[in-house]
Amino acid sequence: MEYAIETFSLTKTFSDLWGRNRVLAVDNLDLRVHVSEVFGLLGPNGSGKTTTLKMLLGLLHPTKGKALVLGGDATDPHINSRIGFLPEESYLYRYLNARETLDFYGRLFKLPARIRKLRSEALLDMVGLKAVANRPVGTFSKGMARRIGLAQALINDPDLLILDEPTTGLDPIGTRQIKDLILELAGRGKTILLCSHLLADVEDVCDRIAILYGGKIQTEGKVDDLLRHTDKTEITTSRLSNATVEKIKQLLAGERAECTISVPVTRLETFFLNTVAAAQQQAVQTSGAESKTHISDFLAAKPDEQARRAALLEQLVSGESSSEQQESIRTETVKPKPASESAPDEDLLERLTKQSASAELKPAGTQPAEDSKAQSTITPREDILDELTGRTKGDNQEAPGAEQGDSANA
Amino acid sequence: MRSIWAIAVNTLRQALRLKIAAVFIVLLLVLLATMGFKMTGDGTLKGREQAFVSYGLSLTALLLALLTIFVGAYSLTSDVKDRQVYTVLTKPIRRFQFVLGKLVGVVLLDAVLIMLFSTVIYAITVSMPRLVDADDEQLAQVRNEFFTARASLTPAEPDVSAEVDQTYEDMLRAGDVPAGVDENPVARRNYKNELTKRISLRKRAALVNGELEWEFHNVKPLDPNQNLYVRFKYDVALNPYDLQIYSRWIIGDLRQLRLAQIPNTPIYSVERKDLIRTSHEFEIPGDAVADDGYLGLAFLNVGLNDTVVIFPPEDGLEVLYKADTFTANFIRAVLLVFIRLVFLAALAVFSGTFLSFPVAILLCLAVFTMANMSGFISESFEFLGETVNKVYYYSLKPLISLLPQFDQISPSKFLIPGRLLKWSLLGKLGFFTICLKAVPLLLLSMLIFTYREIAKVII
Repeated sequence: MEYAIETFSLTKTFSDLWGRNRVLAVDNLDLRVHVSEVFGLLGPNGSGKTTTLKMLLGLLHPTKGKALVLGGDATDPHINSRIGFLPEESYLYRYLNARETLDFYGRLFKLPARIRKLRSEALLDMVGLKAVANRPVGTFSKGMARRIGLAQALINDPDLLILDEPTTGLDPIGTRQIKDLILELAGRGKTILLCSHLLADVEDVCDRIAILYGGKIQTEGKVDDLLRHTDKTEITTSRLSNATVEKIKQLLAGERAECTISVPVTRLETFFLNTVAAAQQQAVQTSGAESKTHISDFLAAKPDEQARRAALLEQLVSGESSSEQQESIRTETVKPKPASESAPDEDLLERLTKQSASAELKPAGTQPAEDSKAQSTITPREDILDELTGRTKGDNQEAPGAEQGDSANA
Repeated sequence: MRSIWAIAVNTLRQALRLKIAAVFIVLLLVLLATMGFKMTGDGTLKGREQAFVSYGLSLTALLLALLTIFVGAYSLTSDVKDRQVYTVLTKPIRRFQFVLGKLVGVVLLDAVLIMLFSTVIYAITVSMPRLVDADDEQLAQVRNEFFTARASLTPAEPDVSAEVDQTYEDMLRAGDVPAGVDENPVARRNYKNELTKRISLRKRAALVNGELEWEFHNVKPLDPNQNLYVRFKYDVALNPYDLQIYSRWIIGDLRQLRLAQIPNTPIYSVERKDLIRTSHEFEIPGDAVADDGYLGLAFLNVGLNDTVVIFPPEDGLEVLYKADTFTANFIRAVLLVFIRLVFLAALAVFSGTFLSFPVAILLCLAVFTMANMSGFISESFEFLGETVNKVYYYSLKPLISLLPQFDQISPSKFLIPGRLLKWSLLGKLGFFTICLKAVPLLLLSMLIFTYREIAKVII
């Protein structure tokens, strides 16, 4: 199976009862999503993103064309037991509490009671809703509902994750967390189809994107290829003296290159994360979702699996039969792992908050603080590149150390 | 199967947690308790029991029917409207399983609630003789006529069509038929109907000093030592001055008289004087029944009466005997109510598969109301059918016969007179209502839901 998702001239027109007011929502769409890639479906409101997803999942019937999901029809239980789906809003049973919700969806996958319980607890912990697990979902805020919606999409440890606007209603921590999760799952060889109009989300995590407008793909390609400015070079350094700046300018003048030099500004996202992290360290109570930053054991890859994963990817790309391999991964992750092994899945956000927590303690404007901020603006991109290229091992090992140091400080 | 169960349990939770069921439960419990203590019926203990059981069970049936319709329609339509189906149907569950799960959930709710309420009704009914101070006569009456399940034997309506035809031919030959009747088919049919009525009335009438005889077969009392009850009602051609009729009844294996044998089983003779146009009952020992289940009855119109005595067709004559216990009969009556609820649940789920909530409710209530007056509806259409026969026969009649007929057989009809509700009758009703009506509805709803475009917004 070469493609996780493949559509052939998929078309959907909406019309009223008498066949009038025809709206062409999706127009001869040929979408191909490779196995084990993170694919972003972008587009303004009403461009046909959600309609496409609904057709993929069999919730809408195509007017014309065909959609193959994991090589078959998504309404087939054999296929959709390997799919996780988060709709554009978390449509939940309001009268169930968070734990019952996950248990209910687990039952639909015919998971044995023990595994259902294990996974529900792990997912509740992961999305930070463990403390409110016994509250009816109807009382949740939008962001909390979103988190439980995400948890239900992951209860079967899916091979294909379809996320429709996953970050709407989420706070920046939740957004960050979803992005990390996507990267982690992608690292495990899962295929992820992400549908969004929030470009920042897509840019950070997607391997390939397609931009939809008027139900048609306008552009499609690798994110790096599409966004790279081949005619520009960016240099980021520690704070330089005016003399050095002048020297550089002279040097560049010799190259006949235009340049602008400025002090970088922290992204609001980073700043927000720092502030919340500081509050968390002072143990401020919250009635909402707690921001947990690790990924559930059964979803997280074991460190020694990294090599295997690489081999698997190799196989998948080379087009060999992969279903057995994927099956074996799934069954393996179900087994509970010792706690020590789960430690390495320390992630991006954790490191982010640690680094900037020290920056927060110093008065803004002083030299060292700006230094650390300047660095932190680069960090996310580097990490993402690391993750994308699979070089996460080194980072992971160093993270627990950082955590210990910080807790000692607090 | 497990996913069907998951959906069913979820539906049950929905009904209980959204307090839809709670309203009905509280209402019913309060009403049943009040009825148990406030209703007096006709003042006797028996009347009180009859009033409580019949109103209690009817009220339970009505409220549970409404609850079933409401929950069944709401559960599916709200899932579609609030779009929980998006996450549920993309899981490994077939759509027909989802529909089936919803139905199982509603039926489960009904089963639990009807068990609860029938237990309450049963407990109050059974303990009522102890709570009310009644004399021994009343207690005996309740024991014999209420806390029992009496099988009822009614004489079969004799087939008089051959006799009617013969009479008509004779009259035609004699020139007694009015002019123009024989040429016009409608008039001829009406005239023959008149003849039929006249002749069958003759079969139910006893002339002065005349005699009427009835024969029953397959009389099987629960206990041969128990008494049989003969229940009858007179109509007269001419009112006697005191509205009373003298009578002599001969009951037993009447074949022995004809063959002039030495009787094996006793033959009883009963002499009575009864008010006309009201039902009366008298007892005879159970050994009057022959070993092969034969029982003969003869009514003699004593010469003192000086009028023709007529037995009305519906309730003119009945022989009752205890065939089962009250408890067993009560359980069957409750099952009868349950069968209806199963049909209503299937109807509600069915309408929820393609209609929005308010429209689904409307449809269900319309069908429910029509089912409760199906007798009236089919009668009025029968009447209309005189003129638009063919159209009616091929269009409306099949549709009407698809409706369940809730009014034809109601549980009160059996519990009030302490009459036996046979397993065979219950089984037949269950088969017709569930297999022939609810199951096709269920299959149809599965089909509709499977091919329905779930995410399509319908305004």
